[in-house]
Amino acid sequence: MQQPSPLANPLATVAQLRETGSQIDNIPRDLEDSVRFAGAQLTQAAGILLRLPQEVIAQAIIVFARFWLGPEGGSLAEFGARQVSAASIYLTTKLSAYPKSPRSIVNVYAYLDSIPFPSFETDVLRTENKAEEYYVSEGTYQTRKLDLFETEQRILKVLGFQLQVSLPYALCITYLQALDVFSHPRASELAKRATAHLNTALLSPQLMYLTHQPPSLATAAIYLAAKETGIKLPDVEWWEVFDTDREELGFLVVALLSVESFAKEEQKVWQGKKVPMTVEAVEAELKRRHASQD
Amino acid sequence: MSSRWADSEADAAEAKRRKKEKEEKKRLKLQKQQAEQEAAVRAAQQAESRPSKRRRLSNDDEEEEGKNGPSSKENESQRKLLRFEAGSWAPCRHTSNFETLNHIEEGSYGWVSRAKDITTGQVVALKKIKMDTHHQDGFPITAMREIAILQRARHTNIVSLHEILTGSASDEVVLVMEFLEHDLKTLQEDMPEPFLASETKTLLRQLTSALSFLHSNFILHRDLKTSNILLSNRGHLKIADFGMARYIPPPHAPPPTQLVVTLWYRAPELLLGTETYSTEIDMWSLGCIFGELLLKSPLLQGKNEVDELALIFALCGVPTDKTWPGFWRLPNSKSLKIPRDPSSSSLKTSSQIRSKFPSLTTEGVSLLSSLLSLNPDRRPSADEVLRHPYFSEAPKPKPMELFPTFPSKAGQERRRRAVSPNAPKRGEAPGMGDVDFSGLFGEGEGVKGSGFQLRVV
Ligand SMILES: Nc1ncnc2c1ncn2[C@@H]1O[C@H](COP(=O)(O)OP(=O)(O)OP(=O)(O)O)[C@@H](O)[C@H]1O
Ligand SMILES: [Mg+2]
Repeated sequence: MQQPSPLANPLATVAQLRETGSQIDNIPRDLEDSVRFAGAQLTQAAGILLRLPQEVIAQAIIVFARFWLGPEGGSLAEFGARQVSAASIYLTTKLSAYPKSPRSIVNVYAYLDSIPFPSFETDVLRTENKAEEYYVSEGTYQTRKLDLFETEQRILKVLGFQLQVSLPYALCITYLQALDVFSHPRASELAKRATAHLNTALLSPQLMYLTHQPPSLATAAIYLAAKETGIKLPDVEWWEVFDTDREELGFLVVALLSVESFAKEEQKVWQGKKVPMTVEAVEAELKRRHASQD
Repeated sequence: MSSRWADSEADAAEAKRRKKEKEEKKRLKLQKQQAEQEAAVRAAQQAESRPSKRRRLSNDDEEEEGKNGPSSKENESQRKLLRFEAGSWAPCRHTSNFETLNHIEEGSYGWVSRAKDITTGQVVALKKIKMDTHHQDGFPITAMREIAILQRARHTNIVSLHEILTGSASDEVVLVMEFLEHDLKTLQEDMPEPFLASETKTLLRQLTSALSFLHSNFILHRDLKTSNILLSNRGHLKIADFGMARYIPPPHAPPPTQLVVTLWYRAPELLLGTETYSTEIDMWSLGCIFGELLLKSPLLQGKNEVDELALIFALCGVPTDKTWPGFWRLPNSKSLKIPRDPSSSSLKTSSQIRSKFPSLTTEGVSLLSSLLSLNPDRRPSADEVLRHPYFSEAPKPKPMELFPTFPSKAGQERRRRAVSPNAPKRGEAPGMGDVDFSGLFGEGEGVKGSGFQLRVV
């Protein structure tokens, strides 16, 4: 048996992609996509407020995304995206060099709940961090903490303890080095853009990180960033060197580009409303949809 | 249609172009391999995100990767791209999918039993994880770490983890591992004679390969001892029990607990309260295990921390400024009352290993002595051990297939509870600072202190 590469990720199976726990509970697919998208952004925002390195945040987002997949995955009828996001962060930081207490996680999520969504401008979050001053009552804290622990166990169980994540960030930089671009005057712009694409991919409704391996993600990010910056890469099919064929590359580039249009669309759909991040909010949203159909 | 000439000219141009392309790709591939190795290291570090104290990349590992990587199977015309395989994930199955055959051992951390997968009939070992009922931090981090590290540590000499089960009780978590017939401790207790020299060599080599793999992946085992080392009936050795394992801490991180490694296998720097330790503590344990394989009984059976240290100094000599310059800076060394210049006293500074192992070859003594260097910096790395002449001199390591088979206790019956000091308990306060070593060398100089002289053999 070949040893799994340390660079590889466990990927979603076809069956897991075909049907989710939420679909079995009759949650419309578009609603599930919206909640998952908002949940990934929420996780990213919480990670920033908790001052976590992007690698740890990315890992939490991937754990969050894995949880919902497959008929045996978590359902929005049973779990709110907010609690799953919080537990994903809690779980991920626990194994990292940046463990966070249940207290700080509860506070940060309460704070994020208090600001209008969606307005998670990452720069704003970084500069106007008021989460530290945000407290919940002791009673609320105790309930949320228990909730956090219970959700943590459910995530571990649903994932079969498969928290292993390898990320394309470091790979992306080393590929750029291999492609010899760092002598280029605008190399840092290229690297920045490629990294930004990798962050964008975390939010992808197509679940790019759950369906493609880090080398291909890094390759697609570089390809697109090079096109955008007009920096010329070697005149050969260099992506094959990074284990990505033309077809996969094409798919990933399109997927990357589509995240932005999806985000715009979401903004339009949810204008003035909050994406339902709890079980109750999802129920209310379903009722509202039924009512407007009548 | 153009002439034959034009054709071959075009061909030549095309060939030239292809050759250039090939060369360019080759160059890229080489760079990329390098890049990947670096990234792999970073990925390992990422697991606890920080640069490690020792930035060592095992050469063996690079070779391994090379073998599986694209370069060696390079076939441009086929353009076969490397496919990464890391499987998928699935929810935990319920414990009722397994039928318990017999209990193996009740450790300090969990219960281990032999069981059968009801659907496939496969025999496995189940390790039930003990969970504190009142956990302040949710799911126990120790269990999460054991699982996460075992998932990553896939090596032929490391026990393989198949899956995790959950039971009806919300906090019942069970590791499913491959079953091996023996652990080295129980096996040796039942053997009439020690392993042969050739067998010892095979065992030690397998153990060291596993350690080399772990250390190059920045993992410390921190509880190496014969009861945590499994042996199949075919002579295949595997390290088990990753309950204490950790990623190598970063230079400036809060020091990890000193309360690691079962007493008889605990390195002197740990006994002396060092706050920074690394792979060398596993190498010390390896030395103790080497000695144990030769003697068929544990090498340094201290009754407590003080006694353990006394036994160590009796075997390896007391440290001097020359042999271990850092010694006097360790927290507990002051209370030892060892004279700064032991040569003026009757304390032995030389190692007694030679005389303790009269039938061991010179190379064997050299290897054992280096592993049991008091000064951690003098201990060889696992890779260095693998290259030691001890392994190439006669007798050759015995092929695994020729290993004798022994009746398996784990396979048949409940094992008696063995007497050996327990592993340090998880969650106990770290620090050995309050251990009083002052009685070790008595009041005056010399060896009339408690325990010390008595045990010099
Ligand atoms: N995969 C296995 N196959 C066969 N026997 C095993 C296996 N794993 C463990 N054992 C047996 O169970 C014993 C205890 O296992 P392990 O060391 O993993 O548990 P533990 O509770 O952490 O032990 P301790 O805390 O006492 O070190 C081992 O010494 C060995 O005899
Ligand atoms: Mg054990």
